[in-house]
Amino acid sequence: MEYVSPEGLRSDGRRPMEMRQIRAEIGAVSKADGSAIFEMGNTKVIAAVYGPREVQNRSQQMSDKALVRCEYSMANFSTGDRMRKPKGDRRSTEISLVIRQTMEECILTHLMPRSQIDIYVQVLQADGGTRSACINAATLALADAGIPMLDLVTSCSAGYLNSTPLLDLNYVEDSAGGPDVTVGILPKLDKVTLLQMDSKLPIDILENVMQLATEGCKAIANYIREILLENTKQLEYRRGS
Amino acid sequence: MESKSAGSSTNFVDQLVYPGDVVLDLSTMTNQTIKLGGGLRQDGDVISVMKAGRLRFSKPNKYWVESSQKRYVPHAEDSVLGIIVDSRSDNFLVDIKGPTLAFLPVLAFEGGTRRNIPKFEVGALIYVRVVKAIPGMNPELSCTDASGKAGEFGALKEGYMFECSTGLSRMLLSTPTCPVLDTLGKKLSFEIAVGLNGRVWVNASSPSTTIIVANALINSEVLSGVQQKIMAEKLLQRVQ
Amino acid sequence: MEQRYANCWRLTVNEKKFIESSLLSELRVDGRGSLEYRKLSIKFGKDNGSAEVQLGETRVMSFVSAELVQPYKDRPNEGTLSIFTEFSPMADPSFEPGRPGESAVELGRIIDRGLRESRAIDTESLCVLSAKLVWAIRIDIHILDNAGNLVDAANIAALASLSTFRRSECSLGGEDGQQVVVHPPEVREPLPLIIHHLPVAVTFGFFSNENLVVLDPTYHEEAVMTGSMTVTLNANGDVCAIQKPGRQGIFQRVIMHCLKLAHVKAADITTKIIDAVEKHNIQREVQKVKRHSNCFTD
Repeated sequence: MEYVSPEGLRSDGRRPMEMRQIRAEIGAVSKADGSAIFEMGNTKVIAAVYGPREVQNRSQQMSDKALVRCEYSMANFSTGDRMRKPKGDRRSTEISLVIRQTMEECILTHLMPRSQIDIYVQVLQADGGTRSACINAATLALADAGIPMLDLVTSCSAGYLNSTPLLDLNYVEDSAGGPDVTVGILPKLDKVTLLQMDSKLPIDILENVMQLATEGCKAIANYIREILLENTKQLEYRRGS
Repeated sequence: MESKSAGSSTNFVDQLVYPGDVVLDLSTMTNQTIKLGGGLRQDGDVISVMKAGRLRFSKPNKYWVESSQKRYVPHAEDSVLGIIVDSRSDNFLVDIKGPTLAFLPVLAFEGGTRRNIPKFEVGALIYVRVVKAIPGMNPELSCTDASGKAGEFGALKEGYMFECSTGLSRMLLSTPTCPVLDTLGKKLSFEIAVGLNGRVWVNASSPSTTIIVANALINSEVLSGVQQKIMAEKLLQRVQ
Repeated sequence: MEQRYANCWRLTVNEKKFIESSLLSELRVDGRGSLEYRKLSIKFGKDNGSAEVQLGETRVMSFVSAELVQPYKDRPNEGTLSIFTEFSPMADPSFEPGRPGESAVELGRIIDRGLRESRAIDTESLCVLSAKLVWAIRIDIHILDNAGNLVDAANIAALASLSTFRRSECSLGGEDGQQVVVHPPEVREPLPLIIHHLPVAVTFGFFSNENLVVLDPTYHEEAVMTGSMTVTLNANGDVCAIQKPGRQGIFQRVIMHCLKLAHVKAADITTKIIDAVEKHNIQREVQKVKRHSNCFTD
């Protein structure tokens, strides 16, 4: 199948290095200490953060740092064929682990010993790149909750189809069976914390695809920064100063 | 066997014994006062074995079974290496590889008072003495010798700790010095602390020496005296 | 109250500091260099498709079995490949009995992604009757002893057992040509799987000091390290999967450097697996000859 037309356009009309429209909204869940909605094209996820709060299960309490927990789930209606997936299947267990460890890297957990931070992310609409969208949403939610962080982790994916590196794959491109590289970076430190890839790709091409995904992450980081700045201004305005 | 004629009334001495073996029958003995060590128990009139190992005897009347295991059963007056697990207001909780955590009272230090309680972070390694080991209670430790002096007891800074069997740590503590330590000690300078609970701490000025010593000791677990010597010499040759 | 301290293995501050400081001078506690692999040995069981891998002190067993099932609706002409992991508390007290924990799931997923997404096994040749019957290959991975780097050991075990697995041949017969006949191994020689390439997993450990990278971390190093990356690639240098699940951030050039190192190591391990498999196959042939001669002499 042709994923990039001879004119250099993708199935949804984007250029190979073009990202989908992104949109973010802070404070989507009023009960949560921090929350956000993040959209990348038709992919839409919601994240809620609770904490730092008392550790629920005393046996997990750590005397030198905070416990971070993460739960990833996909709403039944998020995909095209609606089906009831068992909770805690292998894929979501893995993604929960990956998101948790990625967020853990940027949260300054040693400042909040003997406490617990819960991150809940749920996919409302899935159209490729859910993992990245979840991480971006979680970052925003953590920032909204005012949890001390090292940097704003952002994530983006890239693929390689028809001998062209493509940024931010949608569902059709994702399920084409080509390589899918998801990168999560700490943009200010320029370090890679999350890197997942599957399918088959020679090392030198992988480097290009990874580079592309990293650029995507940086673009998202800029957007997230703007959103946070806007949010802060709003808060300031409401305080009346 | 000489030891047999020298006062023991069993012919199991220095033999391998297995759980269930009856080594002594008190009813046939003239002098019924004996002292039992680890691995033996009294069952009515007979003394039977409860751990596989070698039966040892020491004059005039001490019997015990020597065996090697990974876990440690606390005994009073043993010197052990412990890991601090948590601190409470009156005790430190210490892991000594025993069936339960041991308590190290915060005052069990030389000149210890309420005012100068030492600070240990979780995971610190300490060289301590078992003071009380009563079944059903957590063993009690102390950082002083019997006369209340600190001696060598206390926190071990830096270095590397590895775990081994209790048999190996007893071998390392035996006199005369075991061949592997003897050989290594002639060429290399290092500090070592051996806990009877199967933990050994090694420290040297360079990490490479520490690693060599630690690995030589771990390897000598299954070697005889002569083999230990050969192994240690080979190792030293390779280094120099 | 003390229950939470029960039975967990503890790392002392001394060990933690020592492991890191000796790594600074390119030394590891077990005497290896920082980019050296532990001794690898691959043994095969008596049955086809069982392998036991020992990597240093880590021991993993893998067993492959197959059964005829109905294929998935969206892939009527393809056999299936599934991986099950068993982390028994026997191998490491921190493994909890019952439901597979996070680490078991992650390990399974890494191996699964490396094998399946890169199409290492030809699944189309496992089809017996389109949309009706296909072979379902199941890999069971049991951890016998955990001394660090389970992923690599489990992956090698999976590859070795897949390479020696034989499935019964089957053919279509009956009046309508739709009847499936499974030939027992005595009648027709069982068939090996068609394996296109061997994706080998190579794991790196990272530490808070960003200049430190180790290959094949041990149990102690795993407790100290602040991040890890598993690269699965084949001998041709195609990357089949990467798993760096968050934690310690590293520079992109370090990742590229690791990929190149992993390529060399993967080629190395691939030859080891192939050699072991060949040796095993020869042995198996020899054994067959013996059996026949015994029949005659009896």
